[in-house]
Amino acid sequence: MPRSLLNLSPHLRPVFFCAYLATQLVLVVRAQKSPDLVFGFQMFNASSELKISLFRKVRRRDRSKVVAVRDGAWELKDHSGERHTYRWQDRLPRNQLATLDRFMHASYGLDAQLFRLQAALADFVRHLPGDEETEAVIAEVDTRINGGELGHVRLQADRP
Amino acid sequence: MTALGDAFKRLFNEERDALVLGVLRLALSALLFFNGLRLVLEFEHTGYFADYFHMALIPEAWVIGSATYALLLGVQAFAAVLAFLGFWPREALLTASTLGLYFLLCDRLQYHNNRYALLLLGFLLAFTPCDRSLLLVKARKHTLPLEQRIAPTFARRLFQLQVSLVYLGSTVGKLFDGDWRSGQVLSLRFARTSEVAAAHGITLPTWVNELLSSAWFASLTAKAAIGSELFIALGIWFPRVRRLALWLGVVFHISIELSAKVELFSWLMVASYLAFVVPEARERRFEYVSGNRRAEWFARFVALSDWCARFERSALSPTATGPTFYVTDREGRRAFGARGLAQLAEAIPLLFPLWLPLWLYARARAPRSTTAANSA
Repeated sequence: MPRSLLNLSPHLRPVFFCAYLATQLVLVVRAQKSPDLVFGFQMFNASSELKISLFRKVRRRDRSKVVAVRDGAWELKDHSGERHTYRWQDRLPRNQLATLDRFMHASYGLDAQLFRLQAALADFVRHLPGDEETEAVIAEVDTRINGGELGHVRLQADRP
Repeated sequence: MTALGDAFKRLFNEERDALVLGVLRLALSALLFFNGLRLVLEFEHTGYFADYFHMALIPEAWVIGSATYALLLGVQAFAAVLAFLGFWPREALLTASTLGLYFLLCDRLQYHNNRYALLLLGFLLAFTPCDRSLLLVKARKHTLPLEQRIAPTFARRLFQLQVSLVYLGSTVGKLFDGDWRSGQVLSLRFARTSEVAAAHGITLPTWVNELLSSAWFASLTAKAAIGSELFIALGIWFPRVRRLALWLGVVFHISIELSAKVELFSWLMVASYLAFVVPEARERRFEYVSGNRRAEWFARFVALSDWCARFERSALSPTATGPTFYVTDREGRRAFGARGLAQLAEAIPLLFPLWLPLWLYARARAPRSTTAANSA
C-alpha cells in the first residue's frame, strides 16, 4: 500500500478539514470588501467599460501645469543632455490598463480596474529615472457601468 | 448525539475505492501542467512579472527574484508531469499547486478565479488517496488491486465542498448584482456577440439578432444562469438529483466554453465532477453478442471509454437471439436499445452529455427497451 506523508492521521483529519473550510469562508467573505474581489469566485460580474486618458503634472519655470501624455509616452533630456523616453505601456505588459484613449471592457468590474489603475499610477510615478519635471501622473477616466450613464473619475499619483 | 457522532465518523473515517481519484489526478495534473506552461511562456515572452507593475498580496520582500522564479516555474511544471505519470503523485500535486498559489500571492494581477480554483482543487486532491490507480510509470501494473485501493477519502468530501463553493460564490455574486439579475449585463454581452459576428463577416439570421437584442431573452437567460449555478451547487449533494445537476453542469460549461474565453475553467469544473462519481468500480454490466461485428466494435468502444471502470463486460453466446447488447445498471435494471444507451451514457464520461436526451427518448418508448432485472 502506498505510503505518503499526506495520509493524515484520524486525529488530524478534522483539524485539517475545519481549518481549510474556515480559511475559505474567511477569504470569500473578505473578498466582498476587496475592490477586485480576489479569492471570491465572483465570475462575469459586470459589462462595465472604462476609457483612460493620461496626463502629467509638470513644473516648468516655477509654475505647475497639466499636460496630456500622447500615446502614453513622452521624451525628456536630462542634465547631461541624454534623451530619455518614458512609456506607460512599458510598465504594463499584458495588462489591459495599458490601453489608452479608447473604451475597453473592465474585467472583474470597474472597481477592480480603478483600484489597479491607482496602484499602476503610483508604480509608474516611482519609475521615472531622470525625469525632473513630472510632479504627478494623472488618469482621467470615463466610465460606463453596465451600459448606463457615463461617469468620470480622476486618479492621481504624486511623485514620492 | 449518536447521529452526529455517526456522521462525524462517516466523514472522517470513510474508506472507499480510490480508483476514480486516479482518473481525477490525471485530469488535474494535466491542467496544472498547462497552467504552468502558460506562466513559462509569459516569462519567455514578456519577462519576469516583478520587473513590471505588479501587486503583491504578501510583503514585497517575500517576492522571489527572477532566477528563482524561473527555477520554481520549472519545478512546478516538472511536478505536474510527475503527478500525471504517477511518480510520487500526491507530493507532486501538492508541490505544483502550492507553488501556483504562492505565485498568485506574489501578484494579484495574475489572479483569475479559474486559476485559483484549479490550484485549490489540486491542493485538496493531494490529500486524497489518488496514488492507487493509473500510475502510468508502472506500465501494465498501473492500478493496485481492490483491497489496496480502499482508503480514507475524507479529503474527497472537502474537494466536493470546494466545487460547491465555487458555484455558490459565483451565484451569490450574480444574485446580489441588480444589473446581472435583471439581464442588463448579459444584454450587453449579447449585443457584443452580434457586433463581433458582423465584424468577422458572419451574418446572423434576423431572428437570432432579434433574440440577442431583446430584453426579455437577456432577463430570462440571466435568471436561468443563476438558477442553474444554484442548482449545480446544491443539487450535487442530493443523490436523487445529482446526475441531473452534473449533466446540467456539463451543458452549462460547454456553452460557456463556446461563448466566452475562460482559460481552463470549463475543463476544470467538468473534470472536478469525477469527485462526485460513486467510488466503487464494476458495479454495472455490459453484455454483447460475441461474433457480431457491430456489437464487438461497440464493446471495444465501451472498454476504451470506460475511464471510471463502471462496467463489467461479458460476451453473450454467438447464438443468442434478441438485442446485440444489454446494459445493467447499479440497481440491476437490464436494458437494451435506447434505454440501454441511456444507461451507458450515464456512466461513460464521453457520452454523458447525451444522457438526458437519450433517457427522455427511451422513456417515451419505455416498454419496448427494458427487461426485468436478472431476467437473462
